[in-house]
Amino acid sequence: MIPYLLFATFFGLLLLGIHRKLIARIQRRPGPPIWQEILHTLKFSFKSTWIPATASEVLFVSVVLIAIGIWTAAFFVLVTGGSLLIIFAIYMLHKIVEHGFGLSSGSPYGKFGGVRSVISAASEIPLFVSVSAVAIFTGSLQISDIIAYQAETGPLLFTIPLAAIALYLVILSKVPASPFAIVESKEIVSGYKTEHFGVWRAGLETCNGLKSYVLLLTFITVFIGALPFLGILLTMLLLVVSLAFVCALCPMLSPFDSVTIQTIITGIMLIYVLYLGVFG
Amino acid sequence: MIGAGGSPFMYLEFGDIVIYFSPYTLSLFLLALVFTVLVIASRPERQLDIAFGADAYTTKDIGLPEMRFRRFMAIACGLASMGAMVTGDVFDFCLFTSLVGICNVGIVAAVRSRHVQNAAFQYGLVALAGTVPLFGGAAIVAATTGTLSLIELSSTALPAVPAVVKGFLVLGVMGEGMAPFYAAKAEMFRAPGAPYVIMCSLSSLLIFLRVIEVVLQV
Repeated sequence: MIPYLLFATFFGLLLLGIHRKLIARIQRRPGPPIWQEILHTLKFSFKSTWIPATASEVLFVSVVLIAIGIWTAAFFVLVTGGSLLIIFAIYMLHKIVEHGFGLSSGSPYGKFGGVRSVISAASEIPLFVSVSAVAIFTGSLQISDIIAYQAETGPLLFTIPLAAIALYLVILSKVPASPFAIVESKEIVSGYKTEHFGVWRAGLETCNGLKSYVLLLTFITVFIGALPFLGILLTMLLLVVSLAFVCALCPMLSPFDSVTIQTIITGIMLIYVLYLGVFG
Repeated sequence: MIGAGGSPFMYLEFGDIVIYFSPYTLSLFLLALVFTVLVIASRPERQLDIAFGADAYTTKDIGLPEMRFRRFMAIACGLASMGAMVTGDVFDFCLFTSLVGICNVGIVAAVRSRHVQNAAFQYGLVALAGTVPLFGGAAIVAATTGTLSLIELSSTALPAVPAVVKGFLVLGVMGEGMAPFYAAKAEMFRAPGAPYVIMCSLSSLLIFLRVIEVVLQV
């Protein structure tokens, strides 16, 4: 399991690098090499590290460890076919981690990133809607049961496409340069991660790589079902290509617009789930 | 839906009150525990404010009495969250949830700013109103099934609980867990004290996450 965890982290970083490269090419820029995110992580691992004088020291360091810890837990839950509800919980708790990153340093940029993280809670509700739709159809929230259900009846992607779109939007809200990426937009430098540098940033990049892999694998497992390993990697790549197109072609929204659009999407999804619950 | 968060693997019985640990409740409990330890161990940060119109900045310090009170409230909030995560009783869940609401009011209200205290007052009213559907939901569960045990409620042998109960419980939790939004509204984040503000957000999020499991089980 540990080699797979390491693979997932580095492959997730590679996917983020591909995402970045694709956005650049779509916008007719050369862009960095696709392994840039891996190089970043390695570079930060060996740079000098300290804690800002104004920071809450224990919290400043702990959030990095918690970030890695929760996504490692999500990875194990996913691989062992545990409850989808736990992955949902971990995804939502990542918001608290972002909040912790932002507030712990005392920096105004980090603070605004953290505050934006709290107010963008609307982005999590489509995930709950997606989980609810899956529960209505499969009668279970265990990932192993969901895979078995799809082996019998075919991918849920075709049965409940709007729920799949909801999860896709949730993943979209978490990728860099997304229209909904208000927590780390450029007017607040790097948002919640502005003051975490050196080893702390390396830890954060590691978490981001693992998070990307887990979210993409969750989408594939829940809406497509069991695939051969190479099939999973290729599907992840396809998802990243589609995400890169959305990110490259859509402007980054202001916090107000981002929350408004996510709330509207949530409303539509809630109506869809109510419809499924009554007529599905 | 039985075992939405995985099958329980450990029960702790205190008379007729049963606490149970499933993979889901244990995960949430551990997170509440970790952040409570962080609240105990952390000192608040000193926030930087840029002075506009000058090449200068200032830092904000938090006074010792205020820090002590907010830390006490944050620890109490962490303990209440832990209780709400693992309890196997609907009434106890409501009780812990309302305690989380009260502690969140305390964390917010301790900040010496008129705007923040106004927000705390409004939030307190919402939390107070939230207890009505919350305990009302629990009362209807007891009235229709004769039990408040989540384990018994998840069995199919009991009469079905009216659907409105689920709405009441969610509405109650929304009332109690609104603190982060009120804190954002009052720009409470401009006040130093990251560990305490985070406990405010975390506890609200945790009760939201637990009520999903509760609603699926009743």
